[in-house]
Amino acid sequence: MALVNLNDVLSFTGNEEDSAFDDAKSSCMNFETSLNFKLPTFSIQNLSDVSDIATAPVDFLKQQMSNENNSRIAIKKGTTTLAFVFQGGVIIAVDSRATGGAYIADGGVKKVIEINPYLLGTMAGGAADCMYWERELGRRCRLYEFREKERITVSAASKLLCNIVYGYKGMGLSMGTMVTGWDKTGPGLYYVDSDGQRLKSDLFSVGSGSTYAYGVLDSLYDYNMSVEDAIELGTRAIYHAGHRDAYSGNTVNVYHMKKTGWEFIYNKDINELHYKYAAEAKPSTLS
Amino acid sequence: MALKFELPKSGFNFDNYNRNLILESKGLKSPKTIKTGTTIVGCVYKDGIVLGADTRATNGPIVADKNCEKIHYLAPNMYCCGAGTAADTEFTTNLISSKLELHRLATNRQSRVVTAMTMLKQMLFRYQGNIGAALVLGGYDVTGPHLYTIAPHGSTDKLPYVTMGSGSLAAMTIFENGWKKDMSREEAIEIVKDAIESGIFNDLGSGSNVDVVVITKDKTEVLRNYKRPNERVKKEQSYKYPRGTTAVLKTSIRNFVDVTEGVATPMDLS
Amino acid sequence: MSIMSYNGGAIVAMKGKNCVAIASDRRFGVQALTLTHDFQKVFEINDKIYIGLGGLATDVQTLSETFRYRVNMYNLKEEREIQPKTFAHLVSSTLYEKRFGPYYCEPVIAGLEKDGSPFICSTDLIGCTTFPNDFVVTGTAEQQLYGMCESLWEPNLEPEDLFEIISQALLNAVDRDAVSGWGAIVHVITEDKVITRTLRGRMD
Repeated sequence: MALVNLNDVLSFTGNEEDSAFDDAKSSCMNFETSLNFKLPTFSIQNLSDVSDIATAPVDFLKQQMSNENNSRIAIKKGTTTLAFVFQGGVIIAVDSRATGGAYIADGGVKKVIEINPYLLGTMAGGAADCMYWERELGRRCRLYEFREKERITVSAASKLLCNIVYGYKGMGLSMGTMVTGWDKTGPGLYYVDSDGQRLKSDLFSVGSGSTYAYGVLDSLYDYNMSVEDAIELGTRAIYHAGHRDAYSGNTVNVYHMKKTGWEFIYNKDINELHYKYAAEAKPSTLS
Repeated sequence: MALKFELPKSGFNFDNYNRNLILESKGLKSPKTIKTGTTIVGCVYKDGIVLGADTRATNGPIVADKNCEKIHYLAPNMYCCGAGTAADTEFTTNLISSKLELHRLATNRQSRVVTAMTMLKQMLFRYQGNIGAALVLGGYDVTGPHLYTIAPHGSTDKLPYVTMGSGSLAAMTIFENGWKKDMSREEAIEIVKDAIESGIFNDLGSGSNVDVVVITKDKTEVLRNYKRPNERVKKEQSYKYPRGTTAVLKTSIRNFVDVTEGVATPMDLS
Repeated sequence: MSIMSYNGGAIVAMKGKNCVAIASDRRFGVQALTLTHDFQKVFEINDKIYIGLGGLATDVQTLSETFRYRVNMYNLKEEREIQPKTFAHLVSSTLYEKRFGPYYCEPVIAGLEKDGSPFICSTDLIGCTTFPNDFVVTGTAEQQLYGMCESLWEPNLEPEDLFEIISQALLNAVDRDAVSGWGAIVHVITEDKVITRTLRGRMD
């Protein structure tokens, strides 16, 4: 390799395929090791290469999130959240684990977003996306109240959110959320995701541990159950998901949506629940 | 047909090769092997050869071993510093070392450095660089002192002073600046030590201590941890937990010796 | 994702004063799904040598059987128990034989030598051995374990203190790893006995 000029040196940090980089690599007898330490490579797509400047940020994000790039931007994915309607209102239960790859980044995340005293949103997928857009939803709901002199319905609020994310479809938003509340029509529960899908039902579970939660919910759910039983069911479903799913766990947060608005019930450690349930007699499936 | 006992074949085994290709094609990345980031050097002086090495082994960004040995024994009059894939340097030098031993027993002569160098380069060339061993070979035989570098693909150099590994540039600056012909033993050890320290402090892939080996006509000295410039500061307090901190579900103790109480009865010898 | 984190796991071994300890988590899972909480990752080689195998579970079991076979053959041929150092070389050679098609497994070995001094060793997946004088770690919680061990470990720990330190190092490390945990098992090997304890760890 001839005298390395400044441009070549700079391009080490920009482009791994650069021939100057290969030169340096081969002249440095010890393979990539030293260069890994000295010149960490970070290849960023040159934006001038992109023909359509409007989609450049989307392409950039996709590239940064792709597996080939070792998921440079790792977005929180593992979660278990659930909500169901019953005679006493709506129960919302979520876990509290945030992971970056296999690393547990936080064990005390609040995955229930308090939009206003009568509306709750849950968080699955991108934490920032859910937080930001549900805060924006809260603002729009407040404006609606001023304009219409009455509280917004859960149906309308969820549609508001749905329409927002649909406008950004294909641009990299990642949300799987449940919007719950109590309005003039009674309790409401909607599922909204970043694909623009909006569903209404009495029972939802979202996230990597949702299948485990559904298993518990489907076998024990009863519309006419008492409030205590409903809280226990939500807790148990999250516990089982936290136990089996590596990317869910740590603690359970339970909320109860009533005519008077939502109420925070409790936060419980899933590990303590495990040893408590283990000591108890197993519930009979035949009773 | 009766089962026939077969001796395991010698050499590399490729049984898992296809399975691993399939796993990798499914996007499961293969883990990294331990590399020796390494600064290794050698230099000729008036009476022989001085070899030097740092003692850091890395696994990606993690220091896998803070005090590993990179100067491998080849023969009583010959040592070999290894850089690159740590397992490869270890097994390659071991293999050649045992071949040299057998050669000595067959010929009744001291091994020559050029013999070892040829065996190493022929082996590495055969494997086309897939054995990732970069070596600095030094020794003293009937024809005098010899110092070689052997690259993973099998090419060799014979020079009065050599450096290899990720710290080779840092170490070479010391030699280029200070190497003289016919240095004394003390001067040679000093410059080798300085070269390795240059690698230890300026190259992130190298670190910890300086190992030195001095080979002369009829004596080989292994100066393990000749210099320890990175001694860890002693902890001033302890993190010791009170006994019983850890919650235990089940304990089982297996005693190796059964102690039985009571009076021993003499053996009936009738 | 790496092959080494397909099943998850964490293993650590530490030297003490005339004793060694080796500990592992007990999860067997396939990526996010946890299947069992009683998976064996630490194997007894003889009274005074234990080996912990971290990595791909299929290779953990294949290798544990390979080592059992090879150690049995050694015992029959030599008519004596294998020593830790010899066993470490046996492990190393077994792995290096498959240099170009390796087992996805990084073993750690803990044992007591003939004179009662502690022995620990770890190798990478192609058999590069390291013999530190403090501790060795392997598995998906490797980085967390390094952090715990570097701060908790000190020289000349008595068996009971060594147990507390290795247990706390492991339990707290796996609590920051999604794919390790679900209980733990610890073996403390001393001159006259082996103490095996199963720990109460987080089950999520």
